[in-house]
Amino acid sequence: MTLSLYDARSAADSIWVFLEQDRNSLTEISLELLAKGRQLADQVGWKLGGLILGIRNSELCSEAVAHGADEVWSAEHELLENFTIDAFSTITFEMIMEGKPGVLLFGATPDGRDLAGRLAVRLRTGLNADCTGLRLRPGTGELICDVSGFGGGVLALIEMGDHRPQIATIRPGVFSKTQPDWKRLGELIKFPVLLKAEDIQTRIVKKVSGEGVDLTQVSLIIAGGRGMGGDFGALQKLADILGGEVGATRPPVDDGYIERERQIGQTGVVCSPKIALCCGISGAFHFIVGVEKADIFIAINSDPSAPIFEHADYCVVGDVHTILPLIKEALQTRLAEEI
Amino acid sequence: MQKSLEMMDQSGSNSYLIDEALWEKINERASGSANLCFQCGECTAVCPWGIVKEGSLKVRSILRGAQLGVEDWDKEIWLCTNCIQCQSYCPRGVQIGDIFQALRSLSWENREVEPGLPSMLWSIYWNDNPWSQPPSERFNWARGANIPEFDCQEHEFLLYIGCTSAFDNRLQKVAQALARVLTAFGVSFGCLGVNEPCCGESIKSVGHNPYFRETAESTARIFTSAGVRKLMTLSPHCYDVFKNHYRTVLQEESFEVFHYTQVLAELLENGKVSIPAGFIDRALENNYSWIDPDGVTITFQDPCYLGRRNNEFQAPRTLILGIPGINLIEMENHMQDGLCCGGGGGRMWLETPSGERFSDIRIKQALETGASILATACPFCLVCLEDSLNALGKKNLFVLDIAEIVDMAIGQSG
Repeated sequence: MTLSLYDARSAADSIWVFLEQDRNSLTEISLELLAKGRQLADQVGWKLGGLILGIRNSELCSEAVAHGADEVWSAEHELLENFTIDAFSTITFEMIMEGKPGVLLFGATPDGRDLAGRLAVRLRTGLNADCTGLRLRPGTGELICDVSGFGGGVLALIEMGDHRPQIATIRPGVFSKTQPDWKRLGELIKFPVLLKAEDIQTRIVKKVSGEGVDLTQVSLIIAGGRGMGGDFGALQKLADILGGEVGATRPPVDDGYIERERQIGQTGVVCSPKIALCCGISGAFHFIVGVEKADIFIAINSDPSAPIFEHADYCVVGDVHTILPLIKEALQTRLAEEI
Repeated sequence: MQKSLEMMDQSGSNSYLIDEALWEKINERASGSANLCFQCGECTAVCPWGIVKEGSLKVRSILRGAQLGVEDWDKEIWLCTNCIQCQSYCPRGVQIGDIFQALRSLSWENREVEPGLPSMLWSIYWNDNPWSQPPSERFNWARGANIPEFDCQEHEFLLYIGCTSAFDNRLQKVAQALARVLTAFGVSFGCLGVNEPCCGESIKSVGHNPYFRETAESTARIFTSAGVRKLMTLSPHCYDVFKNHYRTVLQEESFEVFHYTQVLAELLENGKVSIPAGFIDRALENNYSWIDPDGVTITFQDPCYLGRRNNEFQAPRTLILGIPGINLIEMENHMQDGLCCGGGGGRMWLETPSGERFSDIRIKQALETGASILATACPFCLVCLEDSLNALGKKNLFVLDIAEIVDMAIGQSG
């Protein structure tokens, strides 16, 4: 097996997170990884570092420190205004070879995956993709990653031996972010950038922002089926209270009650939310395939023999039109109490 | 090398480029079949898409393009369900289904396929089934049923369930019913359980030939090392692919392939078994309240992949007619003219807009017969037809697989 460019003995006691930005603030996944990184760093007494590449980074650096970073490696250059794999991999590689972190975390986003993969090869090190859990072994600094496979049938615990940095990509929503502490102090390391336009093989021609919802990125979905009788307004109200999105099975889409892009299933969207609340859905297999990856699967149906109950974690037998208002009321009371 | 043929219409603006390399590719993949076409248009006329869609599916003009090497098709090649109604009417015997598959295989090479199809193939790659289900759960349908593990020394048949029936909740009931029927009839069979490999039909149906070949080779190896001599499938899709497409993968035909209706029909015809008269009692117990206790009328959906594609119209009918107390009535389109349910040719993995579903028409035809049961012999037919029936609302019609009907007639509890 090839050796990584630096090994465990040469690695620093640090966890680094590649931080992504959107409209001048750090993205949700970046904040989630900083929170997790902070937790791991505290457990073993290590430093937490953040990598920020862009054109004007100072606010982002403050945000990173407030969310737990002890040091921020910042590279500013006009050629870093947009993500390009050529520019970003060059600069991050240089940063890594200088700082030699023990652990390097990326969000499993299109850019994160692109960069993590290329760096792993360049550094001759390993990469655990789509991890659902991370642990650091105290004393040795070995990272243990939880990776699930075969549709959830297998959970693998993967370690990397002597290879450094130990790279992992993590999906948005796996970890939770923490509240920022604006009094925190951290070190800013301004990293020199020597890039020429000829080094970059791609050029951003146009940025197009889409309208509409991507149910695959949503952590709470309230889905309605034929049993809702078209009353998706009730589901939307609940979704608004809980901060989620509304989905549907095929029949209400056919009947025109809701848009096709919200159809969940084998021929629609396959989602993996933290919570899926399925209302008035019988549970045809085409639909189940789209929603069964939910961490918590709740079903409400008036038919006790509905096939959906064979898949749901929590089964509520009853009339959706009676139960939903009760849930809404209970939530509103609870939320009022918390304020 | 390209020959350019300029064709001007009245406005002087159309020109067509004949691509010889494209022509050669299609020619090779469809075994020269497109050359036989003489553009009569029977195919477009009989295609079921004409019933549901304005303008139908222009089979003739797609064929013309394939014949010349002029790329004159787009996403419509994905509409084809491979029901081969067109092929059955073609006066020249053009293998129209194969030509559509050849065009799809080119789309894969151009990386231009319908969304959702690559994920379906990746699911087979990772999970050995197109439904993203954990392979460890493949035998869950048999829980508590004491299904024997296939042993070539002991068992005459390998009962091949197939991915869809193994995992889909509705279809698992068909698998359970079939196992009970086979046991009651003393058929010697076993299953491969969690180790049952995917037949690859869903890969073939969407035209990805290299990956189909890879999957078929791996599955064939598993069957060979398990010593399979006779294989009986639940689905006509698995049946069709084993019977007609594994020959290119295996050097010689190492196992005989049957659809389960063929196995049971043969037993009935040879007088080896008879079906008891328990159906009506069981139906009434299950609250099929519209059943006439004096005689149940059944109509039958000919699966395209068993009937028209493999010429098996009789075996399912032998079974139905062998059930005491049952009258068989045919729908308007039956046997050679059976109307596709819309699930074949990879369409189970693609969305069909409301109003364009063949199964909606088929349910109407079934209701017109006055039958109280619509019998199927294919898992895709069952799912599509039940879905259309549910969309119509409460009707005095039930969709059941033949295995379920025979199971009820035998009357053992599951």
